[in-house]
Amino acid sequence: MTTTIAESTIWQATVDDVPVALTVGGRLVAVAGAEGSCAVFDATTGEHVTSLAVDGGLLDAALSPDGAHLALTSTAGYHVWHARDTRLQTLRAHGWSARARWAGNDRVAVAAGRQITVHAADGALLWQAGPAPSTITDLTWVRQGREIAVSAYNGVYRYARHRTDPVSHLPYPGSHLVIAASANDRWICTGNQDRSVHIWRTRDAKELEMAGYPDKVTGLIFDDTGRWLANNGAPDITVWDFAGKGPAGTSPRMLRHHDAVTGLAWQPGTGATLASCARDATVALWQPSTGAPGKPMKPAQRYDLDAPATAVTWLDQRRLLTATRTGTLSVIDTAAARPKGAE
Amino acid sequence: MTDTRVPVTVLTGFLGSGKTTLLNRILTEQHGMRIAVIENEFGEIGIDDALVLDAEEEIFEMNNGCICCTVRGDLIRILGALMRRRDRFDRILVETTGLADPAPVAQTFFVDDEIREQLRLDAIVTLVDAKHILTHLDEVKPDGVENEAVEQVAFADRLVLNKTDLVTDADLVAIEARLREINALAEIVPAQYGKVDLERILDVGAFDLSRVLETDPQFLTDTEHQHDVTVTSVGIATPGEVDVDKLNTWLGELLATKGVDIFRSKGILALAGDANQYVFQGVHMLFDGDEGRPWRDDEPRTNRLVFIGRNLDRAELEAGFTACLTGAPA
Repeated sequence: MTTTIAESTIWQATVDDVPVALTVGGRLVAVAGAEGSCAVFDATTGEHVTSLAVDGGLLDAALSPDGAHLALTSTAGYHVWHARDTRLQTLRAHGWSARARWAGNDRVAVAAGRQITVHAADGALLWQAGPAPSTITDLTWVRQGREIAVSAYNGVYRYARHRTDPVSHLPYPGSHLVIAASANDRWICTGNQDRSVHIWRTRDAKELEMAGYPDKVTGLIFDDTGRWLANNGAPDITVWDFAGKGPAGTSPRMLRHHDAVTGLAWQPGTGATLASCARDATVALWQPSTGAPGKPMKPAQRYDLDAPATAVTWLDQRRLLTATRTGTLSVIDTAAARPKGAE
Repeated sequence: MTDTRVPVTVLTGFLGSGKTTLLNRILTEQHGMRIAVIENEFGEIGIDDALVLDAEEEIFEMNNGCICCTVRGDLIRILGALMRRRDRFDRILVETTGLADPAPVAQTFFVDDEIREQLRLDAIVTLVDAKHILTHLDEVKPDGVENEAVEQVAFADRLVLNKTDLVTDADLVAIEARLREINALAEIVPAQYGKVDLERILDVGAFDLSRVLETDPQFLTDTEHQHDVTVTSVGIATPGEVDVDKLNTWLGELLATKGVDIFRSKGILALAGDANQYVFQGVHMLFDGDEGRPWRDDEPRTNRLVFIGRNLDRAELEAGFTACLTGAPA
């Protein structure tokens, strides 16, 4: 079923930059731009709250879950914006900073060059790890916020708070670009420059390799239950089923619609609904669990945009936020009445 | 079809060769171009209309461990972020340190598809300090350590011979001869104070198959060496018709076994029964070949190949190639 976006749009806004990351927290959404701007909006109304600008191009943005603080990482350092007094605090003014991720409302971990740094919401430095052998590309909190797992060249490193050296290293040669851990911490997965997905079972570090993708894997996410892993790397989105003993020897669901997938987002909760967006200027919704392993499946719903999409995220279980290369933000009501007789 | 990809110039050269001066000249000259600069050595370049990004060299081997899949992880990242920006740059300059190995830089443009789609490596421009280059080239390194100066000269598409005012004419002749010996393909551009006609170093199209061997390589005939000649250029010019199957076998084997030592290769070949030229170029084992323009009626079907590399055996290369010609004994 195809819907033009206007039929189900709750609000739209534009930004004067190329959106590279979207983040949702409390009553706010923020859009990070490739040229260093960040615009903050009210999630419900679309009302513009503020615009921020930093040196360098932004790489990531992360609102704390309560929306009180916004971490921004760029090609030249990282910052935290505080909603209460609208102060933009620069925490480091140099160095490639790929990612920021919150653990609750009071701690944010930043991949700052080769280092993990953890700050309190007020910007105070809580601890920092020693430098990894190469620039950290992505990070995720594991063990209920007690550890951080990061992807870098030659594998995954895990850091525990107040310790300089990694507590473990999951080695695998190659350039690891993105990381995801299942909710139960049973699995850690990376997407790779060498066109593969690498998987470790955390219990015994047993490895699985899903190779042969036509492109590098730059998007890789688990749903909230930890059962489904979706990733790009091919025209088809592949979704791996981690139920039971995991995906070893199985075939993935193959979600066929896009050609170059730029964003993936699981709907929060247990519904196993995936949203995707792509360079082909469409957003699609999927129910991978209804498909069969190894068989291509079609989207449950599709929305046409007016320009290539760069990112997608859920505001809640119903509303989906998407951004296009030309700077248009749209909040889609995925539960809106669908037009009868549409494809 | 016009190539709309953004050209990238890689600027290499030892500290003190005048890289920063040249870079500043490129940025300040009135050319109306929007230029992004990726800097490796923390310089003080800050020019309006130029975006400057700092890079820290990170050499990544892809997991098959082959040298041709050694790339610069930092460049993949930075170029990726640059390409996401809305304002389109007319040109990107990548400055490497004097100690950088040019191969991973070049290979980055062939191994990553996202980069390949949007950017094209235009040329590797190596700056050479006329006063000190011979010392650098002749410096004896411990076993297993590369002489970076030799590598940077060997990899170059353009050699800017800077500070010519600091040496005598006789020195210049000797320096040019020495550079030629290593790299017969690169055009040598003499300069003082980094003053170079920018057209000679920008838009070179060195990796463009339609421009392979546009200018004739200049080989030295003199073979009296007073110094280490491990890195040299070998040129082959032979009339005849090439048997494609034999060529594939030979080149495949050559690059598989000697690819580590062959830095650059280029060629124009006359394939048996083909009215068009076959053109190729390679960086180590990364090889790119395609059909070129038609051979002209008045043009002899001469195969021309050039290899630049370490420990190249001219006789072996010649014999190997000659065996690929039709009528050659199998």
